[in-house]
Amino acid sequence: MPVDDIKPTRAGLLIVRRRLALAERVHRLLSMKLDGMMLELVRLTEEAAEERRTLEEKYTGAREMVAVAAMMEGATGVLLAALSVEADPSYMAGHRNIFGVRLPDLEPVMVRKTLDQRGYGILGTSSVIDDAADAYEELLMAIIATAEREGGVRQLLNDIEKTRRRVNALEFKVIPELTELRRFIEDQRDEVERQEWTRLRRIKKIKAKRTGGL
Amino acid sequence: MPSPGVTSPSCIYACTRFRVRRTTLLPREAYLRIMRMSIPEVIGYLSRQEEYRQHVLDLAHDFSGAQLIEEVVNRSLARSFRHAMATAPGDLHTLTGEYLNRWDIANVMAILRGTVHDIPRHQIRDLLVPAGELDAALLDRLLSFTNCGEAIEALQGWRLYPVLAEYYRVCGERGAFSRIENDLYRKYYADLLGLATTGCSGCRELIAYLRFEIDITNMRNLLRLHCAEEACDLATIDRTMIPGGRIPIALFRRLYGIEAEGEFVSVFLETNIVPVLAQAVRELRQDPDFSSIDAAELVWQRWHRRRRPVHEVEMAVTRVRLHQLEALSRRHPFSVLPVLAYLERKKYEVANLRAIARGKAFDLAPERIWQYIVL
Repeated sequence: MPVDDIKPTRAGLLIVRRRLALAERVHRLLSMKLDGMMLELVRLTEEAAEERRTLEEKYTGAREMVAVAAMMEGATGVLLAALSVEADPSYMAGHRNIFGVRLPDLEPVMVRKTLDQRGYGILGTSSVIDDAADAYEELLMAIIATAEREGGVRQLLNDIEKTRRRVNALEFKVIPELTELRRFIEDQRDEVERQEWTRLRRIKKIKAKRTGGL
Repeated sequence: MPSPGVTSPSCIYACTRFRVRRTTLLPREAYLRIMRMSIPEVIGYLSRQEEYRQHVLDLAHDFSGAQLIEEVVNRSLARSFRHAMATAPGDLHTLTGEYLNRWDIANVMAILRGTVHDIPRHQIRDLLVPAGELDAALLDRLLSFTNCGEAIEALQGWRLYPVLAEYYRVCGERGAFSRIENDLYRKYYADLLGLATTGCSGCRELIAYLRFEIDITNMRNLLRLHCAEEACDLATIDRTMIPGGRIPIALFRRLYGIEAEGEFVSVFLETNIVPVLAQAVRELRQDPDFSSIDAAELVWQRWHRRRRPVHEVEMAVTRVRLHQLEALSRRHPFSVLPVLAYLERKKYEVANLRAIARGKAFDLAPERIWQYIVL
């Protein structure tokens, strides 16, 4: 029932009180959830920043390794080794629940490979190809880990924003309105009670006057 | 006993031509000059060299920068090697053909992989270096096939075809290509050693050189296997080691299981790799006191930490091996050794130019690039 449709009656007052109690409970819970999410966000942001630093380091390392590989084996040799890859690296997307927020959980699949799984022959390549492959596998792992953390931060930020709007709406709109309405209904009911009392007294007086006149 | 073919006048003539060709390769000063150039200047320099001019003109509209330099030097390598095959007479021709077979292996494997993985043909064509016996026309024909079996059938005339025939049915299955590649290289070395035992002039030295190359390759690959995260079984070691080296494969198997420094160093000191490694590190670090024991301990440090060989040390070993080959070729001027010395020198000239171009493209410091130059 919309707030405007609530009548200043006892039933209306009960509805408003119930709603107010619910709103205060939800506000308290959402505030606690917001605090929890903020703490989680701080933790996740630190992790994401660390992952990003690692990613940048690994990217620099991978670039250097591929430079050395291209110097020693030529781009042709590096590309020939790259063509040998038989299983493309990928990831499995799942999720984990933090305060009711679905954060991404990415599981690398066939990213780190053994020498056999890489597909190239050991005798046709040199150790610099292994180093470059290792460096790029590490880089891919770091990309997946960073994507998971940064995706989590983004998701958490969206949810924090949503929850903050709800908390603010409860705190500055719903609860004050319900409080105001409750006061209004109580005032109205007091007024009605006073009117009723006055009316009864007046009737009593009239009745007493009539009885005295007879 | 030297075979009559090797000491024939045509052989003397061919060996002399290879020695002369060897002198036309870029000298040390040229590399020092190139190191100071930018990539466009290097291209300009190459376009002024007779060896590379035509290739630069042919490829300049398709490639640019470091890629253009790499394509140009690859073309030059292929042309030089095919010319070497045409020049070498009799036994020298057979041995040269056998020696250059490694380029055919790389080309055939690229084509088979490209066919199975459905990679655009023009992309594969750019990766081929027709420096072996299989000419560009045959490689183009191989590229036109749509499945692995047809490509293998078309290679029936190739000397390594028996290895491919064994894998005819499993070609394209996961892991098959690495096994084919390993077997092709094992057969390549076996055939080369087989030919070298025919008793030609300089063949004894060639066998020694090849056996040392096999030992170095085996040791390097053992380090690669050891530093892999997963433990490999002895069957994998047998599959990846090349037989025919001076160090028996049983010793590599034994080395693989050793985890104690003393035992490792004493076993490693028994191998013929140590003196060359020590000399290479002495030259690399300018440290005359670096001994064989230091070299064995250096390898132990990498082994113990499950690290791969240091690339700069690998290059230094290559330098020492090349110097040894050249010294041998001077000692046996009318044998197969001058031919091989020229082929190896040409290979490393190409590798040097490629390393400079790629190093500059990746903005590496000149001192760093210089460590990968083989002179």
